Amino acid sequence: MLRFSTSVYKEILILIRDKAGIAILFIMPMVLVFVMTLIQDSTFRKLEETSLMVLFLDEDQDSLGMAVENGLMNSGFINIKKTYEGKLLDRETIIQLVTKGKYQIGIIIPASATGTIRNKAEYLIEQAFSDVDSITEEENLQFEPAKVILYFDPVIKYSFRKSVRITLEKFIYGIESKITFDIFTDEISRYIPSDNNLKFDPTGSIIIEERYIKDKYNEMVPNSVQHNIPAWTVFAMFFIIIPLTGNIIKERESGSILRLKLMPGSDLIVMSAKILVYLLVCFIQFVLMLLVGIVFLPMLGLPVLELGPHILALIIIAIATALSATGYGIMLGTIATTHEQAASFGSVSIIILAAIGGIWVPIFIMPDIMQKISIISPLNWGLEGFYSIFLRGGGIRDILPYAGLLVGFCILTMFLAFQYQRFHKKF
Amino acid sequence: MEDNFAIRIENITKIYKGSAEPALRNISLAVPQNEIFGLLGPNGAGKTTTINILCGFLKFNSGEVYINNLSVEKDLNKIKRIVGLVPQDIALYNTLSAWENLRFIGNMYGLKGNKLKARINECLNMLGLEKSRNRQIKTYSGGMKRRINLIAGILHEPKILFLDEPTVGIDVQSRKVILDYLHELNKKGTTIIYTSHYLEEAENLCSSIAIIDNGEIITQGNPGEMIESEEEYTDLESIFIHLTGRSLRDN
Ligand SMILES: Nc1ncnc2c1ncn2[C@@H]1O[C@H](COP(=O)(O)OP(=O)(O)OP(=O)(O)O)[C@@H](O)[C@H]1O
Ligand SMILES: [Mg+2]
Repeated sequence: MLRFSTSVYKEILILIRDKAGIAILFIMPMVLVFVMTLIQDSTFRKLEETSLMVLFLDEDQDSLGMAVENGLMNSGFINIKKTYEGKLLDRETIIQLVTKGKYQIGIIIPASATGTIRNKAEYLIEQAFSDVDSITEEENLQFEPAKVILYFDPVIKYSFRKSVRITLEKFIYGIESKITFDIFTDEISRYIPSDNNLKFDPTGSIIIEERYIKDKYNEMVPNSVQHNIPAWTVFAMFFIIIPLTGNIIKERESGSILRLKLMPGSDLIVMSAKILVYLLVCFIQFVLMLLVGIVFLPMLGLPVLELGPHILALIIIAIATALSATGYGIMLGTIATTHEQAASFGSVSIIILAAIGGIWVPIFIMPDIMQKISIISPLNWGLEGFYSIFLRGGGIRDILPYAGLLVGFCILTMFLAFQYQRFHKKF
Repeated sequence: MEDNFAIRIENITKIYKGSAEPALRNISLAVPQNEIFGLLGPNGAGKTTTINILCGFLKFNSGEVYINNLSVEKDLNKIKRIVGLVPQDIALYNTLSAWENLRFIGNMYGLKGNKLKARINECLNMLGLEKSRNRQIKTYSGGMKRRINLIAGILHEPKILFLDEPTVGIDVQSRKVILDYLHELNKKGTTIIYTSHYLEEAENLCSSIAIIDNGEIITQGNPGEMIESEEEYTDLESIFIHLTGRSLRDN
């Protein structure tokens, strides 16, 4: 017991004197989760909440131009700009400003836009009310559509471009329907005179409501916090392999390991002390990450992380994840011959396993083949374990398969490390 | 089986994996209890390899090794209790202080409390490190590191002490402190097996030596007697040059 406690104490001293190690272990993951959550939060949120300056030129000066302008202004996520350096915008300036990247989006409503809509609507309605016989081939004119032009800076992401486009289309269809409707009612009132004119109701009869599957105990709503905290916690936990492999290799290189090997039965004690200390580190990381989610992110106006009712399940999956990260670190530290090898292979492998495991991008949007591959990543098991608690309100029974896989991985890696050590008898 | 040998090596051959040449070629050595034995040889001769085999760190291809009549292959755990090692490299935790390092090592040997404190203080005093005991090892000079490395090997008062080049790269003062201390230990009954390529040092310190070159023991005996054995030998160095030649090693 003395030998174990002194080994633990030694590991703790070494750890707390390694400033870079501490930064990797505790500060980096917190910064990471902070930044990632904040970034993702703005894309997770409805677009209306981030605002963007858009150059706007209304050559139409009629219903469509006005409707689009009002619509954009009221959308909340777009501010429109009609002048530049005191002068009204023209097509040339818009193209230049967007090309230079000063503004990301330019919208031009062409002069004839409303007129085109109106002409077409009038024509169609007239056709509808006239005698079928009187339609001649020549009269069935083709209407040249008016072009609303959108300029985009290439840095604008596809998804954002698409939502701007959809928003615009919404206004255009809205105004098209309104104009058609107005002309239609005019026409009707010529045949059926009435005092109370039909009113155009712009609000739709169908709206969309988002709902999430909840069980009766669980009221959690997926948001960037519920998604990000577990993802980056798992990621950070696996990053302990960098200081851990460093620690193992340093012990071996300095020859301290020789001394340890000459002490009766100390290998196992020293190794278990290391495991314990790094498990502890993982657990502290885990608690810190939860704190970020519960205390710090809400200060920035983000939703509070909800732990759900199954705290014990949460602790079990955290420990299982920590175990598999520690096992992986011990295996790498044993097999790698130099610090550089361990650090580069270690971090790259974690990043790859993280990518495969759905830390960076959710699994469900990956291609089929990647979805199948993702289940080989221990980071995926950890993540799925946390998700079943944070997002699906799962309990111990739900996380056990994942915890089992993680612990199995830990046993496998430690066994491999042990065998390698024995086979190579190196120190 | 004679009882009074501290170490006995019989026909050891060691070939490292992946290397064509053996590092040790069928060497045999016997060191009686209470000797200061010097294993001397140029770089790459096989000194560290021999020490590592004696400590049970390395497997060997053939032969037998006994320490106090205990087989290194079978009784390693018993052997561990009676031997101490001062490795060629400074085998300490750089970011821990001398005190923290020594307390850890002492604890690992089962020493604790006031007894351990007294022992650490005694050693630090003997080697002139008492003032620097709370400094991290990385702030130590080369000579201080050698001295603390020595203490780490003898804290648990081993009966047999292996030292692999304990005086390499240090000044006269540190060297003298270390050698005096080794004499002291030997007087108290510790058998000392030490490697070096400082021949003068070995001539003064050792009661018997072996010269190893290219993995082979080329001569062994009492240094004084060896010098007297041939007309042209004036000191160990002349014997050494005579026997090992002038070409560079370790190429
Ligand atoms: N791990 C190893 N793998 C392969 N060859 C090795 C290994 N360690 C040592 N050798 C080789 O074995 C031979 C003996 O090396 P050893 O370290 O025992 O020499 P030494 O006498 O201690 O030298 P030095 O005075 O430089 O410390 C050398 O040729 C060395 O290159
Ligand atoms: Mg050597």
